[in-house]
Amino acid sequence: MRSEWVKFRTVRSTPIGFAVMVLLTIGLGVLITFAIRSHWHTMDPVARFAFDPVSTSLAGTLFAQFAIGVIGILFITSEYASGSIRATLAAIPQRWRVVVAKVLVLGVTTLVVSEVVVLAAFLIGQRIYAGVVPTASLGGPGVARSVILGGAYLALLALFGLGLGLIIRHQSAAISVYTSLLLIVPIIVIFLPSSWQNVVARYEPSALGRAMMSVSPSANMFSAWPATTVLAIYVVVILIVATVLIERRDA
Amino acid sequence: MIVVDHVTKHYGHTVALRDLSFEVPAGVITGFLGPNGSGKSTTMRVIMGLDAPQQGRATINGKTYRELSSPLHEVGALLDAKSVHPGRSARNHLRAMAAANRISQTRCDDVLDFVGLTAVANRRVGEFSLGMSQRLGIAVALLGDPAVLLFDEPINGLDPEGIRWIRDVFRSLAAEGRTILVSSHLMSEMALTADQVIVIGRGSFITRGTVDELTAAAAQDVLVRSQDNVRLAAAIAAAGGVTSAGPGGSLQVAVLDAATVGQLALRESIALSELTPVRASLEDVFMELTATATDYTSSTGAASA
Repeated sequence: MRSEWVKFRTVRSTPIGFAVMVLLTIGLGVLITFAIRSHWHTMDPVARFAFDPVSTSLAGTLFAQFAIGVIGILFITSEYASGSIRATLAAIPQRWRVVVAKVLVLGVTTLVVSEVVVLAAFLIGQRIYAGVVPTASLGGPGVARSVILGGAYLALLALFGLGLGLIIRHQSAAISVYTSLLLIVPIIVIFLPSSWQNVVARYEPSALGRAMMSVSPSANMFSAWPATTVLAIYVVVILIVATVLIERRDA
Repeated sequence: MIVVDHVTKHYGHTVALRDLSFEVPAGVITGFLGPNGSGKSTTMRVIMGLDAPQQGRATINGKTYRELSSPLHEVGALLDAKSVHPGRSARNHLRAMAAANRISQTRCDDVLDFVGLTAVANRRVGEFSLGMSQRLGIAVALLGDPAVLLFDEPINGLDPEGIRWIRDVFRSLAAEGRTILVSSHLMSEMALTADQVIVIGRGSFITRGTVDELTAAAAQDVLVRSQDNVRLAAAIAAAGGVTSAGPGGSLQVAVLDAATVGQLALRESIALSELTPVRASLEDVFMELTATATDYTSSTGAASA
């Protein structure tokens, strides 16, 4: 555990990854909320009616999800790329212990950082909306849940990236697969018949993320807690596969 | 003590180790020799629990590496000097390793000091020269003050000063009663450092012994100078010896020993100006021992191509 913590914080990619994530979540949040504020009066009434001040202020997370996944991927693939995985396994030959330590270090740090960042994005967004656009407060129904699950979404994706990295072991390949799952799979789903789409689309990781962050569930989507559970199941499955593989494969 | 017990390891169709068994006794420096590709590194990786053999097992003091709960206290290894994250400093690399096995910060500074890296401890390892990386690798190996040490090709790529330093380190570690296994493809290096050597070729055990035993067991040539090399060569050939041109107009005689060559010269009344048994160098012994193993490599390579 301590060992993984030292490794996590002593490379430059970790602070850089977090900086990018903070920048994307808060920066894009500011950008998007400003854009909405300035166009509010020209928006059509239906859109205004359906407007969700919470998820729009958290829209930056949908970009930050790439940065956070890369943090998770690099946490393990950098060890394979540099060969330091051999040093790690020399110190801790029980490989499942390495996986557990990495999951704890990565999960806890990304959760803490993400929660803070998502909360900041929310509060800043609401300040920008204030006076022009309807705003939400943390006490409103489902609002606090959306903000908390927004952070949880990012932390779960970091662990998802870690699992992918453990299985694939090459950083560029792992990052490609990760971005494909988040971006390309939804595009493929668009070409499916709509009856299939309605069933399949809700299982996409990014759709789960939107569901976790929306105050009220929309049609053909999971509501917030079931979406969280599905994503958590993905993460657990991928980490179990990763642990079985690392135990069996030659390092 | 390290025991390699009937280990067979193949990667796909490539057989790296075939039924390899040997023991590395405690408290001495054992050289681990073989040509490139003979399976030395694979053996080290199997001992370290990095690669799992298909058959057999390797144990350290009776346990497989994966059964060790705090392995750095029992075994230290330098397998590949460059297996450090290039963006991390030497001190942080040691700290991470130490934290995994409950080793103190002061111990990290001690080993850094021992290998002479204190001044550059906070520099990123990516900027290190190979020699500095080797030193860091040795620092890592010594971190847990282990009784058993493994070094894979530690002098590869080092300059003469680095080689001498590493030799001194081995001697001082051996003097402390540690068990040391050092692999190399350079026989001459082992002659200087190892108490005994284990020779493998093509993944199989070939022989073991002290350096003296191995050279003594090898065929010895005789170098002879005489007033009439032609007649002497004929006499030697008649007696079953094989001659070839030696340095400076001498004759190099194989198969017969010096005493026999001397008697032949006396019988033929040829005055000798020199008669020297040529002691085979460890390098020659090595070539001789592994010749069949390497031949086998190329023939299978040709057959499968």
